[in-house]
Amino acid sequence: MSSIADTASPTVPRERVRAAKRKGQRDTRMAYLLLLPYIVLLIMFGVFPVAYAFGLSFVDTIENAFYGLANYEFVFNDFRVPTAAINVLWFVVIWVAMTMVGVATLSLMLDSVGRRTATTLRTIYFLPGAVTSSAVVVLWLFMLDPGVSPFQGLLHAAGWTYSIDVISGIGLAGVFALMAYFSASGGWIVVFGGALSSLPSEVLEAARVDGANRFQLATRIKLPMIWRSLVLMGILSFAAGLQLFVEPQLMQLAGPQSAQNDWSLNQMAFQYAFRMGDFGASAALSTMLVGTSIIIALVIVFATRFYKID
Amino acid sequence: MADARTPPFRLNLGRFIVYAVLLFAVCFYGIPLLWLLLAGTRSQSSLFADPPFSIGNWETFLVTWNNLTTYNNFQIVSWAANSAIYSVGGVLLSLFASIPAGYALAASEFPGRKLILVVTLIAMITPSTAVVLPIFLEMNLLGLNNSYAGMILVSGFFPFGVYLTYVYFSTSLPKGVMDSARVDGANRFELFTRIALPLARPIVALVAFFSFIGIWSNYFLAFVLLSDDKLYNLPVGLTVLISTSGALSNLPANDVPIKKPEVILAAILVILPVLLIFIVAQRFVRSGTLSGAEKG
Repeated sequence: MSSIADTASPTVPRERVRAAKRKGQRDTRMAYLLLLPYIVLLIMFGVFPVAYAFGLSFVDTIENAFYGLANYEFVFNDFRVPTAAINVLWFVVIWVAMTMVGVATLSLMLDSVGRRTATTLRTIYFLPGAVTSSAVVVLWLFMLDPGVSPFQGLLHAAGWTYSIDVISGIGLAGVFALMAYFSASGGWIVVFGGALSSLPSEVLEAARVDGANRFQLATRIKLPMIWRSLVLMGILSFAAGLQLFVEPQLMQLAGPQSAQNDWSLNQMAFQYAFRMGDFGASAALSTMLVGTSIIIALVIVFATRFYKID
Repeated sequence: MADARTPPFRLNLGRFIVYAVLLFAVCFYGIPLLWLLLAGTRSQSSLFADPPFSIGNWETFLVTWNNLTTYNNFQIVSWAANSAIYSVGGVLLSLFASIPAGYALAASEFPGRKLILVVTLIAMITPSTAVVLPIFLEMNLLGLNNSYAGMILVSGFFPFGVYLTYVYFSTSLPKGVMDSARVDGANRFELFTRIALPLARPIVALVAFFSFIGIWSNYFLAFVLLSDDKLYNLPVGLTVLISTSGALSNLPANDVPIKKPEVILAAILVILPVLLIFIVAQRFVRSGTLSGAEKG
């Protein structure tokens, strides 16, 4: 570095170029060295599995032979797959709608009440985020069991005596959406709390001076300002929801009569690999699911410019 | 009743609706969690007979605790230990990989940088559940399923951590400090260890936070990769306890000592570490999730 600083005189341009080039090469080598552990993991668990599943989806894994599109054909001809696709779409529609409306409403309302109240309430909304994966299903199986639930008054009022009544009454898609919303929405409310509190105060003040009341302030000024982030949340939830697996898979915990082993698409991919030993079919369905996620990710990265890449 | 003075608290319809909705949400989010924590102290019969929010007693809690921990030769203890091993190993590996990587992406220019950034973003936005089955197929090929190493390696891949670090260093790395350190003769590696790493403390905590939560509560990956019950983590163990005992199914009783109270206690064990971390580090969620996203 210092050698370059010293060679400011125009008499040694070649030296300078060479030194700069060497420095650039050393920088590049250092950068690759720092990146090495991550790149190894990225290839092992990001790039390779997707490529491998893609390759496997054209192979008859039982006979070990090239299979063309037969695995895809098999998946599309399985009558359970379209049903699972419709199930998952219902779940996603309900969950994304709940999340967009619930998070936007609660965030805007919290932004309009006193600061201390808002902080306390936000923490209460946020803590269920700690209840994830299998625990959220177990917790909600208790919540939906009229025998023990703290909501039993409500459940009895709806005319439900057993958990199976409650589950069929609400509908499986609704039950799974409830579980997912309970655990995932609080974190977003905290995030939007931050986003709302950093809105430019001049704009809000100007609106207030112009006579906007709290409701108009929330719906006409604040909502449009956080709209893009809300849409991002919706897209991310949509992408995550398509991969639904844990909630339906664990319904069997409530007893064999509640088991839902082929309710979602990811469960079907799991069934192919684990119940039927057909890795090719599993790879075909997984490839389509990952492919959808990657397309959504590409749209977010290149069409919305939400994330900064330079 | 007309009062000439302004009342201290005017309750108009709009305000009433706001508070009613917020209170309803308090019930929705708060009641299940409160019920769960209290129910851990109650007996099976109390769960059915007493009001939902009654508190049990210490003796009952001890009996439940004993039933749960001693069941199947202290199985739940080894599952908790496994969860700790996967989490600590995974968090350390994810830090080891993502902090230097994020720094390199932010601090230097080199061929392939843009490509790595874009692939990282795609990997980060793609839900991790989407690649669980492909990863299983791969691990099956490599013979790494059913091993601590396999679980820790997969958990160490954390593109979100790389992105957070990249955003952190590209906005907070003081160019002047870097340049003067360079003039003082620090080489590139020293720049990272002596200048960047000490500055990185907040981002290390943030990445560790998100990485820990993801690994500790990962059910799907552990469920698919592990078939040996000695290697299960707590979220998978919880479901095994329930399906072997039928504790949630209200079917005729059996002599397995795992009933509803034991299940509730096991569920509390699954969520407690994350709950405690959440209470101290709520602000992390705010600073992390949308960081680098352009203002809405």
